[in-house]
Amino acid sequence: MELISLLKGIISLLVILILSPLFVGLVNKLKAIFTGRIGAPLLQPYYDLKRLFRKETINSTNSSFISVVSPVINLVTVVVAAAMLPIGFARPIISFEGDIILFAYMLGLARFFQILAAMDIGSSFEGMGAAREATFAVFAEPIFFFTIGSIAFINGLTSIYDIYHSIRLDNVSYLVFIIVCSISVFFLAITECSRMPVDDPNTHLELTMIHEVMILDNSGIDLFLYQYSSYLKLFIYAILETSFFYPFGVRSYTVGVVIFVVVITILSIALSISETITSRFKMKNIPQYLLFATAIGILNLLIYTFTK
Amino acid sequence: MISLQVQNNQSFRLDEIPFLDKHKFTDSVAEGLTNGYRMIGLFPLHKNMPHKIISALVDSDAASLHLIGGEFQKDKLEFESLANQFPQTNYFECELAENYGFIPINHPWIRPVRKQSTVLGNKPYQFYKLEGPEVHEVAVGPIHAGIIEPGHFRFQCHGELVYHLEINLGYQHRGIESLILDASTNQRVILSESIAGDTVVGHTFAHCSTIESLAGTQISLRAQVIRSIVEELERIAMHLSGLGGVANDIGLAIVASSYGRLRTLAINSLAEISGSRFGRGLFVYGGVRYDFNDENIRQITNKLEVVKNDSAVINNFLFSSTGALTRFEHTGTVSKDFAQQIGLVGVVARSSGIESDTRIHFPYGAYRYFPVSLITLPSGDVFARARLRALEIDESLRFIFEQLENLPGGEIKINVGSIAPCSGVISIVEGWRGEIVHTAITDEVGNIVQYKIKDPSFNNWYGMNLALRETAISDFPVINKSFDLSYAGHDL
Repeated sequence: MELISLLKGIISLLVILILSPLFVGLVNKLKAIFTGRIGAPLLQPYYDLKRLFRKETINSTNSSFISVVSPVINLVTVVVAAAMLPIGFARPIISFEGDIILFAYMLGLARFFQILAAMDIGSSFEGMGAAREATFAVFAEPIFFFTIGSIAFINGLTSIYDIYHSIRLDNVSYLVFIIVCSISVFFLAITECSRMPVDDPNTHLELTMIHEVMILDNSGIDLFLYQYSSYLKLFIYAILETSFFYPFGVRSYTVGVVIFVVVITILSIALSISETITSRFKMKNIPQYLLFATAIGILNLLIYTFTK
Repeated sequence: MISLQVQNNQSFRLDEIPFLDKHKFTDSVAEGLTNGYRMIGLFPLHKNMPHKIISALVDSDAASLHLIGGEFQKDKLEFESLANQFPQTNYFECELAENYGFIPINHPWIRPVRKQSTVLGNKPYQFYKLEGPEVHEVAVGPIHAGIIEPGHFRFQCHGELVYHLEINLGYQHRGIESLILDASTNQRVILSESIAGDTVVGHTFAHCSTIESLAGTQISLRAQVIRSIVEELERIAMHLSGLGGVANDIGLAIVASSYGRLRTLAINSLAEISGSRFGRGLFVYGGVRYDFNDENIRQITNKLEVVKNDSAVINNFLFSSTGALTRFEHTGTVSKDFAQQIGLVGVVARSSGIESDTRIHFPYGAYRYFPVSLITLPSGDVFARARLRALEIDESLRFIFEQLENLPGGEIKINVGSIAPCSGVISIVEGWRGEIVHTAITDEVGNIVQYKIKDPSFNNWYGMNLALRETAISDFPVINKSFDLSYAGHDL
């Protein structure tokens, strides 16, 4: 049993590692279709990664070792975070009491190094992007703890796998609580993954970018690592979001996988529609948006606690 | 005020212009500007005789142009700068200094305008720099990430807030004005098509008008109407493209791509008549090269019907979207007062509440018989500039449908006579961006010896500096796109 469980965990991780660029490709393709274009091929993110992998890495002469190690640390930390996620009902490879903290700060570490590397390059653009990323991260972090964290608090669990495993939609107030949590997580995902309306992943305008501007001077393998980790990050948040829906299914591995595929597809449609019809926020309004999501989380927790 | 009063496209003899001495010239120009006239040109009569200069001012209320001549000492090209009192003369004075070696005395901020390599007063140009512990400088360009022309922008910022933006252009300088002087007659129209690639019709219209006026040729009414229709088609196409650009810069993908689709219909309509989607090859001296027939009228009408119906839906979506309005309103505001002081023109001026439209104030060609409505909006922000474009598209569509229905008969091209010697003419045309001014001066045998071009971008780039003050740096792209200025038209 131990071995099979481990094997399932490994398969889960491999699925995340392999499918994450496809998710981005799917969102981009749908976005193109909704705006009346044919769009890039579904597998374009893979082609991009392949192209970047073969290219030479050039670093700014101003940069130090930070710029060299940061892309690797960035990817490794995101992969570690990915290894803590449950797909279907398999126990992930890394799963222990309190891994929710590790998960949050693995992603935090990835961001920390990305910001450091951006400052390290010494361009005013990257500095600007780093400042924005750092500012918005301060507002984004509480959202995680007031959503996933509050489910943990209610059930007294501290492992992501256990938290998601404990979600049972047998009473109405708990169902409402979970749905509101999933909305907050959606807000969080949009911010963390630099999607519309917080950041525009397709823009060419350096002055309005947040995430993209930090990797403006990276190339080759470094850019490959950054790009791949940003694809992974988006997929991680997509999985966090889909995991809320598992309790609707029968608790078997196959049904779990089917639900996973269906919900991921629905999510990509929802994401691409929202990206097509929304316009970006003014930069100064983004903290309000994040505080709004945090407030939803806090209220949600309070309301549930008092109505239970 | 001592001046020669002429009208748009009216040729004048050079000896009619009063040439004043240095002080009287300055006083006279200052008097005109105090009366509320706007400068449209400041240049020597002959490129090899820089000491005789003309200042051209427009009086929108009386639909007249005032020409004031100034004669300076040949070895001492100095004049008293008016830029402190009248900021609108700033760039004109800088340009005069750059191209002809004049020295404006007491000029507040002499800087290169059209050429990168210029050293003014033996000193290389120093950018304006803000100093302080928390101030930082962001430099963008001249090589940009998108497919746009080269321009260098320097922001003096405090965090996300812009205190000052300095725009440095001149990377596209091709010397068009002297190319036109050296070119043969056949090449001139083609050259003027390339002054600004997005204003082909506007610039060729102005160029053809100058030559025809100098030759005293009156083109047929049919040709005039065709020219106006084509000009309005260009306006529709470029306004659609501008609206799409603004929507794209705020990430509103569906609106951006919808305007893009409609723009294709508009430029394809241009191709129906001229064979070029940008209207190249249509204008010739004495009229137009291609005529309308039932088939292409039907094609164009069908295409424009789609533009009319679909743009109504998209405009409605864009201008009622809360997200878009939050980005547009109170962003990049230019007050009416500032706009008047720095002499803004065209779409940008009209969205700051200034009544300035050459088609109405200095009517030319078919607009003399078939007027268009003047549209202005008061707020002067990105919203006004975007909304004004949408409204102008409707007005242009109305104009085109009306003209296509009852096109006057007649020839489309007549022969142009010989060019009058010792004369000059100023032609003003309302391109889609705003006021385009072409000036030609001839010598004793009727050769053109001076040709000056003023694209609306020349006036309006200055407006963007002001629009960016105290604005978030992340709003720059959308403000820039709402101005939608030409680099090539400015650099010439």
